[in-house]
Amino acid sequence: METVFISELKPLLDAIAEQMELYIPKKSGEYYVYIKYDPSSEKSVEFNNIRTCTPIKEFLFPLCELAAIFPEPAEPEEIKPFAVFGLKDCDLRSIEILDKVFLEDEFEDLFYVARREKMFIISSDCFEPGESCCCTLFGGRSYAEKGFDLNLAKVKNGFIVEAGSDKGKEFLQEHKDIFVEVPPEALAERDSIRTQTQKQLEENNVEYKLDAPVNEIMENSPDSDVFDIESQKCVECQACTRVCPTCHCFYLYDTKQKDYFAKMKMWDSCMRLAYAEVAGGANPRKVLGARIKHRLMHKFSFFFDRYGIDMCVGCGRCIDADSHKMDIRVVLKKLNEELKDKPKAKVAK
Amino acid sequence: MNRNLYQPIDCEIVDIIDESPTIKSFVVVPEEKISFQTGQFVELTLPGVGEAPFTPSSSPADTEKMEITIVKAGRVTNLLHQCKKEQKVGIRGPFGNGYPIDDFVGKQIYIVGGGVGLAPIRSLFLTLVDRIKDFKSVVCRFGAKTPDDFIYKKTLFGSWQKIAGVNMKLTVDEADGEWKGNVGVVTTILAAKDVDIKNAVAVVCGPPIMMKFTTLKLLEFGFAAKDIYLSMEKNMSCGVGKCGHCMIGKYYVCKDGPVFTYEQIEQYPDIFD
Repeated sequence: METVFISELKPLLDAIAEQMELYIPKKSGEYYVYIKYDPSSEKSVEFNNIRTCTPIKEFLFPLCELAAIFPEPAEPEEIKPFAVFGLKDCDLRSIEILDKVFLEDEFEDLFYVARREKMFIISSDCFEPGESCCCTLFGGRSYAEKGFDLNLAKVKNGFIVEAGSDKGKEFLQEHKDIFVEVPPEALAERDSIRTQTQKQLEENNVEYKLDAPVNEIMENSPDSDVFDIESQKCVECQACTRVCPTCHCFYLYDTKQKDYFAKMKMWDSCMRLAYAEVAGGANPRKVLGARIKHRLMHKFSFFFDRYGIDMCVGCGRCIDADSHKMDIRVVLKKLNEELKDKPKAKVAK
Repeated sequence: MNRNLYQPIDCEIVDIIDESPTIKSFVVVPEEKISFQTGQFVELTLPGVGEAPFTPSSSPADTEKMEITIVKAGRVTNLLHQCKKEQKVGIRGPFGNGYPIDDFVGKQIYIVGGGVGLAPIRSLFLTLVDRIKDFKSVVCRFGAKTPDDFIYKKTLFGSWQKIAGVNMKLTVDEADGEWKGNVGVVTTILAAKDVDIKNAVAVVCGPPIMMKFTTLKLLEFGFAAKDIYLSMEKNMSCGVGKCGHCMIGKYYVCKDGPVFTYEQIEQYPDIFD
C-alpha cells in the first residue's frame, strides 16, 4: 500500500497531529507562512499552491540555538517527533543541500541530526506557480519524486497520498481506515496537473533561460561589472540570505548566563560587511559587489565543486524578499548575455 | 555518536609569558589530550566572551600542554590578555591541515616569518629540529618591527641560532641602540644565493602585506607556486567548513587550510586583503 486517496485534508492532518506536533502553511497577506496546527481550531486546511515565504531550514537549523555550555558540555536537547506539511520539491531539494553540509561524515552537526531524524515530511504538488518560482531553471520540478515521507497531490475530488519512505508507508498502514483506493481517473488527472504546472513554470521563465550551465556562466564572469551594477540596488538588508532555504552561514558567539556560559549558534549572512573581517581589520570583501559575487559563486560554483549539486533550488524566495527587486534570474541572464559577446575567459573557481 | 563540534574542551592556563608589548604566550593544559599536527589551528574560547582561531606555537610532540601566542588585535584577544594563571579557557580543534612535513624530507626548508607569524613557525621549527637530519637544511628569515617586538626572544636570539643545520637571519624595521643585525623589512634579507632552488620548499607566515611581498620575491627566486606554503589567516569560526566566514574562493580555510600552497590560491585576487 503505497498510494492511497482521501477526499478531505483534515482527517489526514488530524491523524498526524495525534502523533506529533504538526506545522501547516497558512496564508498571511499574499504569502504562506508556517503555523502550528491545532485540530480543534482549524476548521478547514489550506492546500498551498506554492512554497511558503519562510524557509524550511527554520525547522532543522533554527535562527538561534544553544551550541555549547561551559563548563558543563551541552548535549542537543531532546527533540520530539514533528511533522511539516506542504513542502514543495524545491523545499525537499533544499533539505538535500543542508544534509550535505550538516550530515557530513566527519563533521556531523548533532543539533541538525537531532531535528532531521525527527522530522516527518509531508510534501505536496505545486499548482498555479508564483511569479518568482523558477525551479525549472535550476533542475527542479513542480512535484517531488523523493525526499518525502508522504506526498499529496490535489485533484478534483480529493488528494492522492503517496508514501516515499518506510516511515510514510508505516503511517499509511496504521491509518488505512481513513484512506480509500485511488480512483482510476485521479492518477491521470494528477499527471495532467503536473505537466500543466511544469509547462507553466517553463513559460514563466522562458526569458531567463540560460545558454550554458549556470556554473560555467558564473566561473567565466570573474571580472564582470554586473555585480557592482546590481549592488547599487541592494540596501544590504540580508533578507535574501535569511529567506534562502539553502544559505546556511552561521555565527558562533559566547554569552554569560546567570550561572553558566553559553556558546550560541545564530544565522549569519555573507552579505554583511564585517562577515569576513578578521581582528586586525583585513576584509577580503569590503565592496558590496564582491559580496554579491561571492554569494552567487558559492551557490553556483564552489558548492557544486565540493558536493556535486548547486546550492540554489529556484524557489524564488530571495526575489520576493528583495525590497528593490534584485532578481537572481536577471543577474544570471545579464552574465549570460555578457558572455555571448566575448570569447571564453579563463575559468576561475 | 560523534562529539558536539561546538563544545570546547576545558583547559587551565598554567603560565603566561610576556613576549612583547602586545604579545603574550599562554601555556594551557587541556583536561583531555589534544593531539595536533604542526600548522593546524584551534579555536580558543574565553567563556562568556568569545572565541578566536590560533595556531599553537608549541611542538605537537608535547602532548601534555599547548602554547598559544596571542597578539592583542580585537575584543577577544584584548580580554585574553587580561587572563591570569589558573583561569579556565576552552579549546576546540585541532582543525584543518598541517604542514606536510613528510613531503619536506630531503629538502631545504626556507622559512620566512614576520611578527606574530612566528607563532605557527615556532611549532613548525621545533618539529623540524626534532628530526633535523631528515632535511637538507632549515633556513630562517624572520622580521619584526623593532627588536622588542620579536617573540620567543630568549631562544630566537640564543639557542636556535646554534642548531646545526639551521641558518638564521633576523631583521627589524626600526633598530634600537643595541641592535647589530639587519634593518629593513623581511624581504631585504631574502637572497637567491641562499636558496637551493632545485630542492627547496618555502614556508611563509606573517602579516598579509609581508606574505604578499615575500611570495612575490620567492617567485622571483624561481620557487614554483606549488612549493610556497602559506599559512592563511581568515575569519575562521566553526572550524569545520560550515559557517562560511573563512572562505577563499572555493576553499574553507578552516578545513582545506590553513596551510595552502600559493598554487592553490593564486587565482583569487583577495587572498592578501
